[in-house]
Amino acid sequence: MPYLGSEETVKELKRALSNPNVQSDRLRYRNVILRVIRFMTQGLDMAPLFMEMVKASATVDIVQKKLVYLFMCSYATLKPDLALLAINTLLKDCADPNPMVRGLALRNMCNLRMPGISEYIQQPILSGLRDKASYVRRAAVLGCAKMQNLQPDAEIDGAVVNELYGLLRDQDPVVMVNCLRALEEILKKEGGVVINKPIAHHLLNRMKDLDVWGQSEVLTFLLRYRPRCHSELFDILNLLDSFLGSSHSCVVAATTRLFLSLGSALPAVQSGALERARGPLLAACNAQSRELRFVALCHVQQVLRSLPGHFGAHYKKFFCSYSEPNYIKFRKMEILVELVNDENVGTVLEELRGYCTDVSPELAQAAIFAIGRVGQTYSEKCLSILTGLLELKQEQITSAVVQTFRDLVWLCPQCSESVCASIAGCEEHIQDSEGKQALVWLLGVHGEQIPGSPYVLEEFIDALKTEQSPAVKLELLTATVRLFLSRPAETQDMLGRLLTFCIEEECDMSVRDRALFCYRLLQCGVEEARRVLGGPKSDPSLGVIAGRPEEPINSWAGDFNTLAPVYSREDWAALTATTGGSPSLIPLVTGGAAQADLGSAEEAEAAGSAAAAAAPSPPGPSEELCLVSGPPLSPELFERRWLALEPSRRVSLDWPGGDCLPETLQAALQLVNIQALALSRPHARPWKAYLYAHSLGTVVLAELLRDTDAGGLQVTVKQDPEREEALSSFLTVLKTVMQTLLNSRASLSSHN
Amino acid sequence: MIHSLFLVNSSGDIFLEKHWKSVVSRSVCDYFFEAQERASEPENVAPVIPTPHHYLISVYRHKIFFVAVIQSEVPPLFVIEFLHRVVDTFQDYFGVCSEAAVKDNVVVVYELLEEMLDNGFPLATESNILKELIKPPTILRTVVNTITGSTNVGEQLPTGQLSVVPWRRTGVKYTNNEAYFDVVEEIDAIIDKSGSTVTAEIQGVVDASVKLTGMPDLTLSFVNPRLLDDVSFHPCVRFKRWEAERILSFIPPDGNFRLLSYHVSSQNLVAIPVYVKHSISFREGSSLGHFEITIGPKQTMGKAVEGVLVTSQMPKAVLNMNLTCTQGAYTFDPVTKMLSWDVGKINPQKLPSLKGSMSLQTGASKPDENPTINIQCKIQQLALSGLKVNRLDMYGEKYKPFKGIKYMTKAGKFQVRT
Repeated sequence: MPYLGSEETVKELKRALSNPNVQSDRLRYRNVILRVIRFMTQGLDMAPLFMEMVKASATVDIVQKKLVYLFMCSYATLKPDLALLAINTLLKDCADPNPMVRGLALRNMCNLRMPGISEYIQQPILSGLRDKASYVRRAAVLGCAKMQNLQPDAEIDGAVVNELYGLLRDQDPVVMVNCLRALEEILKKEGGVVINKPIAHHLLNRMKDLDVWGQSEVLTFLLRYRPRCHSELFDILNLLDSFLGSSHSCVVAATTRLFLSLGSALPAVQSGALERARGPLLAACNAQSRELRFVALCHVQQVLRSLPGHFGAHYKKFFCSYSEPNYIKFRKMEILVELVNDENVGTVLEELRGYCTDVSPELAQAAIFAIGRVGQTYSEKCLSILTGLLELKQEQITSAVVQTFRDLVWLCPQCSESVCASIAGCEEHIQDSEGKQALVWLLGVHGEQIPGSPYVLEEFIDALKTEQSPAVKLELLTATVRLFLSRPAETQDMLGRLLTFCIEEECDMSVRDRALFCYRLLQCGVEEARRVLGGPKSDPSLGVIAGRPEEPINSWAGDFNTLAPVYSREDWAALTATTGGSPSLIPLVTGGAAQADLGSAEEAEAAGSAAAAAAPSPPGPSEELCLVSGPPLSPELFERRWLALEPSRRVSLDWPGGDCLPETLQAALQLVNIQALALSRPHARPWKAYLYAHSLGTVVLAELLRDTDAGGLQVTVKQDPEREEALSSFLTVLKTVMQTLLNSRASLSSHN
Repeated sequence: MIHSLFLVNSSGDIFLEKHWKSVVSRSVCDYFFEAQERASEPENVAPVIPTPHHYLISVYRHKIFFVAVIQSEVPPLFVIEFLHRVVDTFQDYFGVCSEAAVKDNVVVVYELLEEMLDNGFPLATESNILKELIKPPTILRTVVNTITGSTNVGEQLPTGQLSVVPWRRTGVKYTNNEAYFDVVEEIDAIIDKSGSTVTAEIQGVVDASVKLTGMPDLTLSFVNPRLLDDVSFHPCVRFKRWEAERILSFIPPDGNFRLLSYHVSSQNLVAIPVYVKHSISFREGSSLGHFEITIGPKQTMGKAVEGVLVTSQMPKAVLNMNLTCTQGAYTFDPVTKMLSWDVGKINPQKLPSLKGSMSLQTGASKPDENPTINIQCKIQQLALSGLKVNRLDMYGEKYKPFKGIKYMTKAGKFQVRT
C-alpha cells in the first residue's frame, strides 16, 4: 500500500463516511468502514477519521459496532477528547436488552485506555458484575482489572475486591477463572489473590468443569495453597490425579508442577508424579507441533537433572528425525548423551555417528561434541568412531573432532596414545581458529608421542604472517616452547623464528607479551621453564565435576512449566537479572534463583579455566572434596571463598559416637535448604563436611570437623557478607537437624 | 498473559496485529526478524525469543508465524497450545489458513481474536461455541449477505454456555440421528539400512462426529482395550469407568470432536506396513551413480496400500537423475535436489520400482551420506495396531441412532535410511 498516498485515501474515506447517501445504505456504509479497518491493519494512520467513525457506532448492526469499537480502541489514546463523545453510545449499549451487545460494549469501553475514562466505566462495570448473562459478567470481571490498570496508583477498592471474591462461587466456570485473573492483577502489590482453604477446595471441585486454559491457570494458582495435614494433601492428589493424563500438555505440565510442589517434603509423591507424567511428556516430545516438541524436550532435560534414568528405556524416542528443525535436534542430542548406559551405548553412538555428516555444519559439530561427551565414559568406542570421521577429510568435521580429542585427552589420559596416533595429517583440513588451537595444544602437550609434531608446528609458524587469530598465536607460542623442552633439537630453530616474529612484528599486545614472557622464561634456564610449563597433562578429576551429580528435585520443581527450562541456566540468570526477575510463586524458590546465579558465573569461569588449566591443581583437602560436589556453588568457588574469609564463629556440637551415613545427613540438610558440598567417608578420621546455605542475601559457609571418636563436632562458620541474624539462624537450623538425626538414630537403635 | 499477537509472513512482513492490553509497538518484532534472518530456514526459528522487556513465543504454521508477545512469566506450553488453537480455529473457519485467507477475512479474524481472548486471557475457544457467536463465512452466505445485508454474527448468545454439561448445549434436535467414529492411526518409524526397525510408534486418534438429539449417554467398548497404554481423553469421558472397566462412557459434545488419542509404542505391536528395497551407490571418481528402489507391502493384513508418495533429498553433488519407473510418475528438482515419486496404489503382484542413473558433479568428492527416503501412504479399513471397536450403546434417549465406524492408517514421519 502506498504509504505516501495515505492522505489522499484518508480524505476520500472521510468524504465517503460523511456522505448521507452512504450512511443511509447499511451495506455501503459497512463496506467503507471495512476499508478503514483494512488500511488500519496495514499500518496507515487513520486517526483523522475518528470523528466520523464515532458517529458510525450508533447502529443496530453488530458487525459494524464491532468494527467501530475496534477502531476506537486503537486510536482512543491519540484522541481522548473525541473518544469521550463515543461514551454516550457505549453507555446506552451497556443497557441494551441483548446480552451480546451489553457484553461487547462493556468490554470495549474498558479497552479504551484513556485518561478520565474510569469515572464513566465504574458504574457499568458494577452493574455488569450482577448481570444475569454470564457473557456480560465475564467482561465485567476482567473490566475491574482493566480499571485498576488505568490508574495504577489509585487506592484498591475493597468493595470490588470483596465482590470478586464472592463471584468465585459463580456458576459459570469462566467467570470464576476470570475472577482469579482479575484479583491477581488488582492485588499484585499485595502479593496476588489469596488462596485459603475454602477457596482452594472450591477450585478443586470445579476443576472438571473448566476448559483447558482455566484448568492450567487454576493449577498454577493452587501452588499457593499449602494443605494443613497429610490426609488433605492426599485427597488433593487423588482429585487431581486424572489431570496428569490429560490430552493437553499444558495441563499435564501444570499438574506435575503442582504435585512436585505439594510433595516437596515427600519424595515418593514427587517421583510418583514424574512417573505418571512420563507418558504424556514423551507424547508431547513426539507431538505434531514442533514448538510443543521443543518445550517438552526442555522439560525432559530438566527431569533428567534429578532422575538420570527416568527416560532410559525410551531413548529411541529421542533419535532425530530427518525433517526436524535444528533447535529440536540439538536438544535431542543433549538428551541422548545423558541417557547413555552400558546397554544402549552402541546404538546411541551409531545414531550420533549418523548425525556427524549432516548438511548443517553446526549440527554436525554438535554431534561430534556429543560423541566426545559420551567418550568421557566409553572412550574406546567413541575414539574409533571419531578416528573414522577424520577419514572423511571434511573441514568442519576434522576441526570438531580435533577439539573433541583435546578435551578427551585432558579428561581421560588413557586415550592419549590412540589420539596421538590418529591426528597426523589433520592439519591440512583445519581452517577455523578453534580447530587450530586444539591441534596446536595437542602437538605441544603430547609432542613427544607424535613423530611429525615439530614439522606441523613449523608449517604453522611459516604461515604466521597470514594468521588472523591472536588466540592461535598464543597457543602456538606455548606449544612451541613446550615442544622445545621435549624435543629441543628439532624445535630450536623455529622457536627462534617464532619469538623474533612475535616480538618484533606482531601488533597484538597480548601475543607480544606472551612472546616476551616465553623469551624471559627461557632465559631463566631450561629447568625453570620446564617447572613452569610442565604441568600435568591430564586431569581425570575434572571429569567427575563435569559429570553432574543428581540434583534434588526441589532445586528445579519451582521452575517446572515456566520459561526457565527453555533457556540454559546461564541465560536464565542473565535474563532475570535484567528484567528484575519473575515473580516466583513458592518461597522455596527464591533462594534457588540466587544459587543459580552464582552457579552460572562459576560455570563460565570453570569452562574458561578448563582449557588453560596449566596451573597446579589445588592442594590438600580439595582432593577429598571431589568425592561429592554440589552444582550451584562449585568446589573451586567454595574453596576460594573459604580461604578468603575469616571465621565468623566457632561452635562445638554434641555428637556422641558413631557416624551417620552421608546420604542421610545430606538429605536431612537439604530439607532445610543447606547444601552439602562435600563429606568425608563415614569412618574417616578426621571426618569433615563442607556445607553452605543462602540466607538473607548472604552466603554462609560451614565446616564440620570431627577429630576423634570421643570429641564433639567442631563447627566453623564463615559468612559473606557479614550478617548476624543469618548466621545465628543458620546455626540454630543446623543444631536442630543434628539433634533430630541423633534422636531418630536413638529411636531406631532402641527399636532394634 | 498474552499481550499482543503479530502475524508475520515468511518474508518478514507483519500483516496483522492485535493488542489485548496496551498497544505494543511493532518494533518489538525486530528481535524476531533478527532471529528469522539468522535461521537458514523458517522452521529453524526458535519458538521462544527473549527481548529486554518481553518474551516472544511463536509458532510457525502454513507459512505464517504467529508471534505472541508476553510480558510476564507464563507456562510456555500453555501459550504454544493456545496459538495452535488459534490456527486451528482459522483453518476451521476459512478452510485454509493462508496469508491471503486471513487478509480476505480480516474482519472475522478480528472478531474471533476478540472473542478468544480478553485482557490477554483465553475466553471462548471451543469451536462449537465460537461458531454460534460468529458464523463462519461460506460462499453461499457471503452471497446472501451481500444481497440482504445481514450479518455473520449470531444474534443470540450460545445457550451452551449455561448448560450443566459445559461441552454440550441443551435442546439439540436432529431428524437423522447419527454417530460416526473414525479410528485414524499414524505410524512414525525410522527403518535402518538393513531393513530393521530403529524406532516405530503409532499415534492414534478416535475422532467422532455425533449428531444426536437430546442428552444421549454413550458407551463404547473395544475388543482389545489393553492395547492402549498411553491414552488421553476428551473431558467428556468418565475416567473412573475407563480405569475400572476399560469402557468409554460419555455424554458426547454436539458435532465433531476428538474422543481420544493414544500411543502404541512397544516394538512388537507396531507392524511396519511397507518395505523398501534399495541400492543407491556413488562411485569415487565417476560422474555416474546408480539408483534403484523397489517398494512393497509388508504387514498390511491383506489390505491395499494406497496413495504412496516417496520423497528423498538427494546430496548436493547430484546434478540430475535419469530414471524410469514401472508405475506412477517421478520428478527431480535440480535446484532443491528433491526427488519425489508419486506411486499411487501398490499392486502386490507387480511391485513398483524406480531405477536408473544419477549424474554427479565431476570432480566433487563422493557424498559421504546416502539419502534418506520418506514415505507417505494410506491404508483404508485397517488400524495398524489391531485396535477394534466392539460395540456402541446409547442410553438416556429413546430413538435408534445410525452408527458407523471407519478405520484408516496413514504413514506419518516414516523414513528409511539407505
